[in-house]
Amino acid sequence: MIFFSTDWAEAVRGAVDAGPDDALRATKLETYWGWIDQARADYGESWALGRCKPDGHTDYLLLRWERGHCVAATVTATPSEATYVLSADAQTWHDLLAGEDTGRIVMYRRLRLERGEVLSFFRIIYFFVESVAAIGRVPATLDA
Amino acid sequence: MDQEVLAGVEKSDLAQIRDLDIDDVIDYVHADLKRLPDYLDLYRRYLRQRWDVYELDFSQDIRDWNTAMTQSERDAFVAISSGFHHGERQVEVELPVFMLGGSEESKIFMSSQIEDEARHTIFFDRFYREVVGLPGESVQEVLDASFHHVSETFVGPFGLLAYLADELRRDPEDPVSRVRYGTTYFLWIEGVLALSVMKITLTYCRNRGFLPGYYAGFTATCRDEARHVQFGMRFLRDSVAEDPRLLREIHETLRTILTINGATSRRIALESLGWSPEEVRRLMIRQLSMKLNDVGIALPPDLQQMVARIEPELAGG
Ligand SMILES: [Fe+2]
Ligand SMILES: [Fe+2]
Repeated sequence: MIFFSTDWAEAVRGAVDAGPDDALRATKLETYWGWIDQARADYGESWALGRCKPDGHTDYLLLRWERGHCVAATVTATPSEATYVLSADAQTWHDLLAGEDTGRIVMYRRLRLERGEVLSFFRIIYFFVESVAAIGRVPATLDA
Repeated sequence: MDQEVLAGVEKSDLAQIRDLDIDDVIDYVHADLKRLPDYLDLYRRYLRQRWDVYELDFSQDIRDWNTAMTQSERDAFVAISSGFHHGERQVEVELPVFMLGGSEESKIFMSSQIEDEARHTIFFDRFYREVVGLPGESVQEVLDASFHHVSETFVGPFGLLAYLADELRRDPEDPVSRVRYGTTYFLWIEGVLALSVMKITLTYCRNRGFLPGYYAGFTATCRDEARHVQFGMRFLRDSVAEDPRLLREIHETLRTILTINGATSRRIALESLGWSPEEVRRLMIRQLSMKLNDVGIALPPDLQQMVARIEPELAGG
């Protein structure tokens, strides 16, 4: 699948909606996943995750959550309706796909919050971080 | 509080600091909270108390680490210290943006705190390189080598600080952004997380007679924290006095921090350092309550309940 294609976005939707499998759950304390399950339970916001391209344009993966389910994933040129808009450069996305730790990407501010209330965004931070990690695990071919 | 003991904490040089008891240094953090020195007092104190991180001698620490400490003690110690190694770096790099705003006195004090945090980062860099034996040419490489010890939940408070720093960068004078940032940095990360880790690891070193270089450097770090926390509490108190609506921002920030605090991803064998999770929890609650009480920040009932449910969290900066 080509990165940031429609097919890829649909695969991402399936992956983030499914959440962690048993093997992944076993690597961290159950209370951590329990916290995420609770943060996610009624979640109904949307995230636009931007990829800034070398030509100066940014495209967005738009993920829409409803009652804890990821109900839509599209690739768009504008993040208009998203509650939270974040973006990263192509190298960061590349590193994410290569397995770079999502928490580290956030703490080094390689993925920046460009729009949205920072305090409410952080109230679900581990749900967000694990969802972005799941995006990184969806196989994708980077276009040139 | 014994004035003579406090004067000893105040005046010790790096060679004398290893004889101080960590409890006295923590008392010293709180001794001035009701009065709260002004920013230039704190700056003068910085000039007197500044220490040279390259003067520390880790040779006994290396022997203790390799021959006296057990594997489970080393594991717990590294797990706890890594949150501090990365925490010091994070508070160092996120601080310059706060210095862009505020009074001239605040900016002058901030220049000293930035230097403190850089020195604390070097302290951990030296400890990990020389005692733990992590490889790395650069500061970043040693950070990378200890990163796998850092808990998944580190990104909660420290990622929040990074994102609040970004918010502040857009308008460094914005009182709301400054208070949110100050609550996260000075009250929670320094006032609660850092002081709790200091108490746990330094009590362990002192009781067992281990790691004298670490004890001296981290106790000196704790004394630096006294200035940072006193600055921070003065900043929060003055902010609310100037505009009482900012109290709401402190509460909203604490609500976020305490929501994040509910997640724990790894179990740390605290028992091997002589602590139970329940003791750590009580320690953190006490650290938070003392500061809020001393500067007169009251909490609404929902926040009081969240404070009572605080989970052990081990990082700092
Ligand atoms: Fe500090
Ligand atoms: Fe520090």
